[in-house]
Amino acid sequence: MKKLADYSGKFDPHFSYDKFTKETILKLLKAYSEYMLRIDGFWYLTVMNKWGNDEALDCDIKVWEKGIPREMQTISSLLNVHGDDVATLMKYIQVRPFLWNYQCEIDFKSPNHAVLTVNHCPTLLSMEKEGTGREKRLCHESEPKVLSTTAHFFNPNIQVVPLKLPPRTDYSDCSCQWEFRLDR
Amino acid sequence: MSRISSEWHNVTTEKAKGSRMKDLTDYSGKFDPDIKYENFSKDFLVQLLRAYADYLRKLDGFWYLTLKNKIGDDEAFACDIKVWEKMCAIHLEMIRKLYKINSGDVAALLKAFQMSPWRPTCQGIAELKSPRHGIVTITSCPTLLALENEGKGGEEKICQQLELQLFIMQANFFNPQIQVRALKVPPRTEYSDCCCQWEFRLEPKEGE
Repeated sequence: MKKLADYSGKFDPHFSYDKFTKETILKLLKAYSEYMLRIDGFWYLTVMNKWGNDEALDCDIKVWEKGIPREMQTISSLLNVHGDDVATLMKYIQVRPFLWNYQCEIDFKSPNHAVLTVNHCPTLLSMEKEGTGREKRLCHESEPKVLSTTAHFFNPNIQVVPLKLPPRTDYSDCSCQWEFRLDR
Repeated sequence: MSRISSEWHNVTTEKAKGSRMKDLTDYSGKFDPDIKYENFSKDFLVQLLRAYADYLRKLDGFWYLTLKNKIGDDEAFACDIKVWEKMCAIHLEMIRKLYKINSGDVAALLKAFQMSPWRPTCQGIAELKSPRHGIVTITSCPTLLALENEGKGGEEKICQQLELQLFIMQANFFNPQIQVRALKVPPRTEYSDCCCQWEFRLEPKEGE
């Protein structure tokens, strides 16, 4: 049976994702990733509008403290990404679900040293557009926790050092930049 | 330096290109600066899609539970409704666009249910009796199981209020004339053969 590019045909009671082409599955993955970002964003903004940014940020941190380990257990197991060095961490960062929404570069210096540059971050662009300076706390408080939790899932000794962090007053060449290092 | 996104291109060695011709079933090999989702097999990508679906359900649940623990269930529920009032239109527009579901009947609505990002985490049967009449039976719902396990009766609010509201919003998106009726809705005191069951009906206009 020919694989489908969409579901414009008749209702099929036995429909499954297997019936789509690989290209369609890739489009769906990207759409699902955007969907996750929106769910997270709408929750953040709803809480912020009701109780203020402090409460929203506190919830955000709590949500990701629970969410990241779950995400990592599932995705690293599915992808069979296991190890305890920076190379393993970089492999995971390349394939984490949220990464569809960002454009990043990895400067892979050695299996124990790499620099991650986020070139396009829709969340940062939204916050800069909003103009209330929310990026100062989100990027300085929530994001280091997210990246540290991610790194420490593989090895608690991996050091996470922000090299460039918003607000973008001293740089404009990227959204943010992070160094990951493991001294052995 | 490698650039990661679904749309990047990079110069790779012939050897690396060769190894990437195969459809990968995991990423257990060495760090590949040029890895792309296209390098994975379709079967693997379908598994990944199911994992994403599970993850987005959990993400929504973590926000709800965090707020509930912090401020209380009523406030968390009120926020949940606000979030999904916004999210529902985006959700449906995404499905309609991706799958090219363009008609305005019950068949379109049932197709959209089948293709919802939430669907892989639930099991159900969509029965289309005619293009104007359908029944959706959810046979496995992790959210209901969690609520029942919690034992505080949260399913009354989530299933009777929020879920009904979401089904109505979804039906209205395709056609405001589609009527939504809950046939079986938790708490499951009088039935045990499914989680919930909903009927969708589009009555013919006069003269049709």
